Amino acid sequence: MVSAMTDIQMMEDVRDGKVERLAVLFERHHVPLFNFFLRLTGSSNISEDLVQDVFYRILNYRHTYKGQSKFTTWMYQIARNTHIDYLRKKKEELPLDKQWNEALCTELSPDEKLEQGQDAILMREALAKLPLKKREVLILSRYQNLKYKEIAELLGCQIGTVKAHVHRAIKDLGKIYFELSGGTVS
Amino acid sequence: MTCQDIKEKFPDYLIGDLSQEEKAQMQNHIAACPSCRKELESLSAIWTKLGVLPEVQPETTLRTRFYTMLEDYKNDLGEEKPKTHLLEQIKTWFRPVWTGHPAFQLSFSLLFLFVGLIAGYFITGSRGQPAEISDLRQEVQSMRQTLAVSLLDQPSASERLRGVNLSVNTEKPDSGLIEALLNTLNTDSNINVRLAAVDALYLFYDFPLVKEGIAQTLSTQSSPLVQVALIDLIVNVRERRAIESLKNLIQTKTLHPDVKLYAELGLQKIGM
Repeated sequence: MVSAMTDIQMMEDVRDGKVERLAVLFERHHVPLFNFFLRLTGSSNISEDLVQDVFYRILNYRHTYKGQSKFTTWMYQIARNTHIDYLRKKKEELPLDKQWNEALCTELSPDEKLEQGQDAILMREALAKLPLKKREVLILSRYQNLKYKEIAELLGCQIGTVKAHVHRAIKDLGKIYFELSGGTVS
Repeated sequence: MTCQDIKEKFPDYLIGDLSQEEKAQMQNHIAACPSCRKELESLSAIWTKLGVLPEVQPETTLRTRFYTMLEDYKNDLGEEKPKTHLLEQIKTWFRPVWTGHPAFQLSFSLLFLFVGLIAGYFITGSRGQPAEISDLRQEVQSMRQTLAVSLLDQPSASERLRGVNLSVNTEKPDSGLIEALLNTLNTDSNINVRLAAVDALYLFYDFPLVKEGIAQTLSTQSSPLVQVALIDLIVNVRERRAIESLKNLIQTKTLHPDVKLYAELGLQKIGM
């Protein structure tokens, strides 16, 4: 049965020429991937473009898939590269390391603000103020269901470093949230 | 355990990745250490609060764009196969004149005669009588169709393939030709002829007879290749009437799993 096939088997089929199987992987992963980009960039339009770009790259680099690590780890690796390339294109005049520390700008229309609860708005604003590198590691561990080991593989660093980053990111986010709400965290 | 050791395990605690023993150690420590307890409480509070951000559904255009991209990529892969040269194709249509039945030779002679008449008409610069020219053109078309239909009925598969190829070049096929093509699709013993018939019918899909025939034939085809070609056709022309027959096909127990997947994807695409 197709539905019982793992992501790895599917991607191996795509690599070996059954490219139509990418549709199954798309159906399984495009929503989390879209939300990953949405939390990184704050823009749905940009996030949709980036998701499209990731699947385009998967097709073009399908020959390089080795099947050693989880498909999602490989996919988020491509997703990160896609995002970095997008930042490069967006602000070629700014050095990349400075962009990483730049906070993103999220603007909500009054309707959107009404739709979401006050908590969600505050948290979105706080997350947006967190420097990109910290935000990324936090999003990967909190929302994308990746284990610290997988994030370490993805970022090319030690698992201890990932945990330290997550710890630091939550602490900083707590401070920002506290300042924005003007009250207590819990 | 020192405070430092305990703090290093906070991230594991947040994602619930601690063993029972480690959990007990942490609980013992924070019960006795107010500073670590306070830090863990505020980390947990933020970690939980991150859950208020809902998962957002992307616009449906994202899906449409993806499937268009995948389709284009697949087509590009297909185009790498060598194409038949146009001249070669024309030669194959005329081969029956030299090698075929005398009836074809006669048909072709008549065809050339009509072509010659039309050409002569233009060369001599005659004016007026446009009705006559259109009559002649119609007759050429009808000759071509008659020839195609008779070729489709030949015992040799290559003759029948020529019949399909000839029918592709018909501007306005009559119901006789369409019926002959549908009949070929349903009953021809040769898979290549059936596949060629699917391609030919694709060009004439806006004829009601074709739409009906395509929806019906899906249940009778047993070859995965023909099934996939038909699914492609149905999806490409967005034939909503064929949705039921696609659904029935998916239910078939003997269906090849790849065809099933293809049909399911097709259904999704039509539904978009």
